[in-house]
Amino acid sequence: MAIPVILPRQGQSVETCIIGEWYKQVGDPVKTGDVLFSYETDKASFEEEAKEDGELLAIFFEAGDEVPVLTNVAVLGAKGESVDEFRPGGETAAEEQAPEVVVQESLVAEKEEVVLVEKPEGKIRISPRAKAMAEKMGVVFEQIQGSGPHGRIIAQDVEAAAQALPKLTPLAQEKAKAENLAPVKEATGLGGRATAADLINYNPVYGDDFEVKKLPNIRKLIAKAMHQSLQNSAQLTHHMSADARKVMALRKSFKKKLESGEVSQNITINDLVCFAVIKALKKFPQVNTHFIGDSMRWFKKVHLGLAVDTERGLMVPAVKNADDLSIEGLSSQLSSVAGAARKGNVDPELLKPEAASFTVSNLGNYGVEMFTPVINLPQTAILGVCTIVPRPKDLGDGVYGFVPMMGLSLTYDHQALDGGEATLFLKEVKEQIENLSI
Amino acid sequence: MPKVQFIDPQNVRKAGEVTFKPIPVNQYNKTVEEEKANFSKDDFLRIYHDMVVIREFETMLNEIKIKSEYNGIAYNHPGPAHLSIGQEAAAVGMAYTLDADDFIFGSHRSHGEILAKGLSAIHKLSDEQLTKVMENHFDGKTFAPVKANFKGTVKELAIRFLIYGTLAEIFARETGFNRGLGGSMHAFFTPFGVYPNNAIVGGSGDIAVGAALFKKVNRKAGIVVANIGDASMACGPVWEGLTFATMDQFNELWEGDMKGGLPLIINIMNNQYGMGGQTCGETAGYSVAARIGAGLNADQLHAERVDGYNPLAVIDAYKRKRKILEEKRGPVLLDVLTYRFSGHSPSDASSYRSKEEVEAWQAADSIIWFGSELVKAGVATDAELDGMRAATTDLITWGVKLAIDKEVSPLMDMEKYPELIGEMMFSEKSVDAMEDRPVEVNHPMEENPRVKQLKTKERFAFDKAGKPFSKIKQYGLRDGLFEAIVDRFYKDPTLVAYGEENRDWGGAFAVYRGLTEALPYHRLFNSPIAEASIIGTAIGYAMCGGRVIPEIMYCDFLGRAGDEVFNQMPKWQAMSGNVIKMPVVVRVSVGSKYGAQHSQDWTALPAHIPGLKVVFPVTPYDAKGLMNTALQGTDPVIFFESQRIYDIGEQFHEGGVPEGYYEIPFGEPDVKRQGSDVTILTIGATLYRALEAADILQEKYGLSAEVIDARTLVPFNYEPVIESIKKTGRIVISGDASARGSFMRELASNITELAFDELDAPPVVVGSRNWITPAYELEDSFFPQASWLIDAIHEKIVPLKGHVVKSNYTEPEQIRRNKLGV
Repeated sequence: MAIPVILPRQGQSVETCIIGEWYKQVGDPVKTGDVLFSYETDKASFEEEAKEDGELLAIFFEAGDEVPVLTNVAVLGAKGESVDEFRPGGETAAEEQAPEVVVQESLVAEKEEVVLVEKPEGKIRISPRAKAMAEKMGVVFEQIQGSGPHGRIIAQDVEAAAQALPKLTPLAQEKAKAENLAPVKEATGLGGRATAADLINYNPVYGDDFEVKKLPNIRKLIAKAMHQSLQNSAQLTHHMSADARKVMALRKSFKKKLESGEVSQNITINDLVCFAVIKALKKFPQVNTHFIGDSMRWFKKVHLGLAVDTERGLMVPAVKNADDLSIEGLSSQLSSVAGAARKGNVDPELLKPEAASFTVSNLGNYGVEMFTPVINLPQTAILGVCTIVPRPKDLGDGVYGFVPMMGLSLTYDHQALDGGEATLFLKEVKEQIENLSI
Repeated sequence: MPKVQFIDPQNVRKAGEVTFKPIPVNQYNKTVEEEKANFSKDDFLRIYHDMVVIREFETMLNEIKIKSEYNGIAYNHPGPAHLSIGQEAAAVGMAYTLDADDFIFGSHRSHGEILAKGLSAIHKLSDEQLTKVMENHFDGKTFAPVKANFKGTVKELAIRFLIYGTLAEIFARETGFNRGLGGSMHAFFTPFGVYPNNAIVGGSGDIAVGAALFKKVNRKAGIVVANIGDASMACGPVWEGLTFATMDQFNELWEGDMKGGLPLIINIMNNQYGMGGQTCGETAGYSVAARIGAGLNADQLHAERVDGYNPLAVIDAYKRKRKILEEKRGPVLLDVLTYRFSGHSPSDASSYRSKEEVEAWQAADSIIWFGSELVKAGVATDAELDGMRAATTDLITWGVKLAIDKEVSPLMDMEKYPELIGEMMFSEKSVDAMEDRPVEVNHPMEENPRVKQLKTKERFAFDKAGKPFSKIKQYGLRDGLFEAIVDRFYKDPTLVAYGEENRDWGGAFAVYRGLTEALPYHRLFNSPIAEASIIGTAIGYAMCGGRVIPEIMYCDFLGRAGDEVFNQMPKWQAMSGNVIKMPVVVRVSVGSKYGAQHSQDWTALPAHIPGLKVVFPVTPYDAKGLMNTALQGTDPVIFFESQRIYDIGEQFHEGGVPEGYYEIPFGEPDVKRQGSDVTILTIGATLYRALEAADILQEKYGLSAEVIDARTLVPFNYEPVIESIKKTGRIVISGDASARGSFMRELASNITELAFDELDAPPVVVGSRNWITPAYELEDSFFPQASWLIDAIHEKIVPLKGHVVKSNYTEPEQIRRNKLGV
């Protein structure tokens, strides 16, 4: 009966061996004790002897092949016997492994928030590196709360502080130390360095003729949102103006209807402009979007954000599904969210920048003729509506007359939209305003 | 074990008995009259003269030690002076037949042997040879004060040179034989065949065996004499040296003209005391030291006891024994019985022996007795002998005056040249081959089976797609070592390698696989399992001018060669004033898996000892390059290897391990991975765990780690590490050694001093625990793991957001462990 010749295992850690040389060929008669082949590990060479008499029926691996130990490498038996059952399953040492695809986001160490402590408690722990760095960068480290072991101030704390705090000029440093003055956020010195004059409590002319007020939270949020908007997008603004005669006429007629009680809603020029904008957005869905880095959200409905000036600061509540509304409905909703925002009882969900798909900011009432609104990220664009001024216009047949023109300032994120698209959209808004019909 | 030797159970189990031949004791019985046929008048007088010179030289030292004055010259010698007054006949008898090609090694009590051997060599060397020796030694620095204003023969000048060079050395003068760096207990002068005398009892017992090995392997003329004391016969390294010297293989396995015993005489200067311990009757049991020979081989080392109070008896023995060595039937053991009148040292009050005993030996004083015998036999007159003694007193007086003269015999000027000794710690030579002659090999290198096999290996661990080749296809660290070593065997004819299982087996970790085929027995052989002899003989081999690779199979066995590694190998280059070179590369394998006595990283021990270079490569590229550098140099190198990674492929060096020869300079740590947030500096195989930690730090915490492999511990260039810290401000140092007192602590301490202002946290050491190494299954709790590195960073350097620690790196725990000493 045929028997397999197994590649023996030499030592616990040996997983594969390399076949050295075959001393017998297929068909050769073999006696017990005959050397069949040599093989080697990385440490030594060995020879394998036949354990039984017979004929060498098959050899599965050639000299030089790398073979896992305990694998059948040959078959001994009587002439004509089948060897198939002993044939190793085609596996060799160089077994292919399916490459693992692991998508990994490479992390960057989170930047530490700068936390300032009012008064340092006890001894200040600071690493030599952080101390040297603070001196070099002009950071007053005494008030930094350290993030290292035992609250030790370490380099990363000074780096973060250096970004958030003004750097001090040498004179300012000395002054700060001598008079125990706090550093300020706004610096006037060269390269953003705070001069001695920038230090709070230090003003030889005015003395202490001002008070320092902490920012309310909303101010901090607005500041952060505005700053981020400019940091994280490619904003630019196109200006255009639209003939306002039509909307003024509509406004006039709605005012009459309100007075006569035909409508209950005071429909303003802003309501009419928003109505026109919604129509334009339906034609340019690429503007009714959020830009989120590697993709964009294309909204099926128009959720219109309205910039509202409140006592507590700028708020942008959203009117959801604004494209479903009639002019009366839109007007009513806009005045309702604006009122709520002013009173401070607006649904916070509606204030999130993600709540609106497009924003309108109207400064027309204040006589602003042109401005560059800041996009409410992640929205793709914002329309600034300006005041109406009379401008000469060709009325036909070489006759020029002054017509009321409304300024339109469209700020868009060039990452999401190209200039051509933005221009066409702005033109569409203009046309909708000029040809608005209810 | 060689396969050609068959251990037949039939034979070895047979009944029988071991028989011994009688060991002769003081058999010499000729008179001066009878010896007239063998010695001329000049010969007799020379023997007398040399004994008198030694006696006066040592009497002078004794006076200076005790009275701070000799012959009206005041001098204070604060250093040691172990005198051998009374032993002169033994020294002169030993040296009388020896010439400059014969080497003697000695002990702390060897002034007499230096002078006797020096005088004997001077007698045999020609005037031209002597002049050359004197003019060449330190460019004539020792010779200059001696020859000034001298008008006599060259031989007389040479005797003055010998007296002055030895005395200036004892008095630590820059003009001494070893620039004053050896001193009384270590003085020597190789041009006269006087090799290092050793202040460690029995220190020469294995070193001299290595010198005899050098003579045999390199076919050098002359014999080697190990002058060691009777008390040193109790020392382990002496026994190990004797065992090494009597290996059967010299006769059974070494081939051709290499067949036969070592040209070595173990000369026991048996003054019957080891300090105050009486070796016969108190501290030993052999009663007659020559008896020891019977225990070592069938020839009983041709041992005999000789009366060391009769110079003619000792000379007779040396004439007979030399013949045995010339017939390659060595080694030989001589028990030369003698006695010292002087104490162990001048502070010795001789409380351990009676006045009567000392007086009895003084009554038998060999100088007085031999002088009267010469007069009796009509060889000399009393007047002649008196004249000789007076002239000797003048000679020694001249020597003292000259040697203590600050102008002509200054001390080293350590103020003007503060680094003089530092410059002598290493010889720093780059030498392809220690001798220029053909190498003895069995076949051309390209026919070697291992060399052929390596041609098929992948010399970089990864293929073009970055996928690793299978382990067995990769060119491993052991292959890098092999290539460097085999290359040197084909370059340097003096190179030999030995240790436990180095031949046939190919070394326990297969580094030498293939070398057995390439080299004859005398270049690669198995030593006894006796580490002191492995290193001790290598030292002797290198001292004589050969290059050698002894192997310590496990780092843990380094303690077995403690004296050799810590006291001998590192010291002799500087103690010789840079006359001697020490091209010894000690391969030391650091284990794992095998528990407490087979898994220790002791890199800190040799690194602590000045005079050793210490390297620990952990990639094939580094292993080959650093081994090449070690073998090209002339300094002793402790070359650590890690058993964890003998099969590891090259993962760093672009293009893989070069096939050709290249060197990597010692001392340069290597950045294995660039990073910006934290530096991890590793010693040894921990590199791979540090890389693992670096991956986790990047993936989980966004920290980019720079990983640096120390590669060399001594020397070490801190600049690249400081550069890295300038970038990262943070450093963790890791390795497999137990943390306490480790080299990691040394690195941390130096880094703190050198880069304090750059540091954002203290350098943190992550070593192994201060425990026994537990079983393999528990090793993860003992050796530093990737997670330990991260825990230490989190706890001591920068808290990592969301990290949950596994090990305890808090300060209270550090204090607790230190309090407990664990």
